[in-house]
Amino acid sequence: MSPTFWRKLDGRVTFAVPLRALAVFATLLGLTFAIILASLMLGSFPLSAASALATLAGQAPSEMALTVVWEFRFPRTLTAALAGALLAGSGAILQTVTRNALADPSLVGVSQGAGLAVVSTLILFPETHAGLRPLLAFGGALFVTVLIQAIAMRSAGGSTMRFILTGIGFAAFLGAFTQAMLTYGDLDHATVALRWLAGSVHAANWESVLVLAISLSVLIPALIWAARPLGAVRMGHEIATSLGATVHRDLALLITLSVALAASAVAIVGPLGFVGLIAPHMARRLARSGPGLHLALSLATGAMLVTGADLIGRTHFASVQIPAGLVTAIVGAPVFGWLLLFGRGR
Amino acid sequence: MTGRRTAICALALAGLLLILSWHISVGAKAIPLTTVVQALLFYDDTIFDHVVIRDLRLPRALMAVAVGAGLSVAGALMQGVTHNPLADPGLLGLLAGASLAVVLGTALGIGSAAAIPPLAAFGALVSGAVVWSIAMAISGGATPMTLVLSGAAVTAFLTALTAILLLIHQTVFEALRVWLTGSLAGRPDQVGLWATGWLLAGLVTALGVARKITTLAMGEDTATGLGVDVAKLQMAVLFSVVALTASAVALAGPMGFVGLVVPHMVRLIIGYDYRLIVPWAAVVGATYMLLADIAARMLLAPIEVSTGLITALLGAPIFVWLVRTRL
Repeated sequence: MSPTFWRKLDGRVTFAVPLRALAVFATLLGLTFAIILASLMLGSFPLSAASALATLAGQAPSEMALTVVWEFRFPRTLTAALAGALLAGSGAILQTVTRNALADPSLVGVSQGAGLAVVSTLILFPETHAGLRPLLAFGGALFVTVLIQAIAMRSAGGSTMRFILTGIGFAAFLGAFTQAMLTYGDLDHATVALRWLAGSVHAANWESVLVLAISLSVLIPALIWAARPLGAVRMGHEIATSLGATVHRDLALLITLSVALAASAVAIVGPLGFVGLIAPHMARRLARSGPGLHLALSLATGAMLVTGADLIGRTHFASVQIPAGLVTAIVGAPVFGWLLLFGRGR
Repeated sequence: MTGRRTAICALALAGLLLILSWHISVGAKAIPLTTVVQALLFYDDTIFDHVVIRDLRLPRALMAVAVGAGLSVAGALMQGVTHNPLADPGLLGLLAGASLAVVLGTALGIGSAAAIPPLAAFGALVSGAVVWSIAMAISGGATPMTLVLSGAAVTAFLTALTAILLLIHQTVFEALRVWLTGSLAGRPDQVGLWATGWLLAGLVTALGVARKITTLAMGEDTATGLGVDVAKLQMAVLFSVVALTASAVALAGPMGFVGLVVPHMVRLIIGYDYRLIVPWAAVVGATYMLLADIAARMLLAPIEVSTGLITALLGAPIFVWLVRTRL
């Protein structure tokens, strides 16, 4: 568990190298790649590992393999991986900032805010370009988060538990509103919206991959920046202030970053439940690490979880495809209960 | 004092009847209130509107009354016995459990009219027990917060299971899709008859134990000292809550937040005596449900919104307000 120390200049300079955490990170990445490869192979048109890899390398054994891998399976599994990573990063930041181990973008109304913004646009202005969805989702999610924070705060100060409970209320309200929107809308648009709402990577194409990849690459510098303030916030707001951190500004920026991460994922795959909750916890339990490495571990865990969930949902029930969002909820809810029982985050 | 109380009581019942008539008059074809009253008092099957009222509108109105009364009394009992201002059959996972049980029973082909209420009762009981034991096992015990959180997790889990079942069984999905969003739009009469039996059993039990719940509100020790068998009382309340929830779910699917909102309104009006709260919750709950159903049909007319969405839209802000002021 303890980090290996790497000494230089007769021990005057010492680096702590979190060997275990790095090993876990490598393993997680390896597992994610293994699942991606398995997703390319499995399905109604099975491929061997060799031919799947050959297709990726541009030497497809058949026309069919080329289509199946490049048009369907590869963009789909990449979308799952990217969305999972984004949601996990969002959850990791949200949990640290609210100092509450139960925070998850889909439980506290952030995803529902994004969902309502996207669904109402899909139904009221169906001509809106799909590329605008992340911005809409971000706007909706940010608005809802600010509102929840404002309501949960009292003159006596905010309580993170009240933040979560207020979020649950908001999630119910926005969910009902979104449903009403679906009843009102034109059936064709409503069907599109409904499929999106189930939290599915079913309809993923290269455009989804592109949008998610752009979001992630824009947000990665922000994530690297976030490691420092997260470390300060972890120690508690008072200590962080006394250490010279500009806590209020940092908190606002961190929450915005968390919302942006969740919103860009939700914009493409819909509100995938519980990933933002489980991934950071798994990361924390797999290896003790500083805030920066914990973020990286969470991202890798999230990618692994959602690709795995999509693979199971797609192949396990044969002719029916279970949306990845449902699989993550099935896996996630027991973890949530377990956290309530044994977690320290209350 | 008694005179004033009788007056309020008469006023509430008159209000309920008035809103019931309004509920019947609203619909695809608006029927004048005078015709509604005529049809209820002097039924004449040669008049088309009278037939519509008796065969379509009145059953729906009565269903709203039953569901509203059942969920509200269940919520009132839960809040009274657990000293938890946020107790509600929906928030604590009972509705999700009952719905899953009904869907599962229908998918397995054992969802006959007589079997649906007991199935729902079984589901509500199991999920309620799970929510409760998770909350109890947390250090600090079953506080309102841990109960709601544990209820949210269990609900998410059960809803996902229900969704998967529906995806696998396309026919069940067709049959139960609307019902699952909380709707009064249609359920065969047979289920209605069986559910009414469960509803009455739950209501009678609730009225029977109402006096003792007031005593229990003073604390378990005081209640025991005053001669109340607390364990027995809790069992009776549990039976009543489960029976009422089951009948409401069997009739109309999961209707969120009704059991949370109505008891709080009732306590604002008449205070903390459960001998009064229980019957009042039934009357106010029935009125509330009728109004929600009127809104569901008028809001986006001619399209009908699920009534469960209206109760959530009304109830969730009140939940947030309760969290802000009571916790």
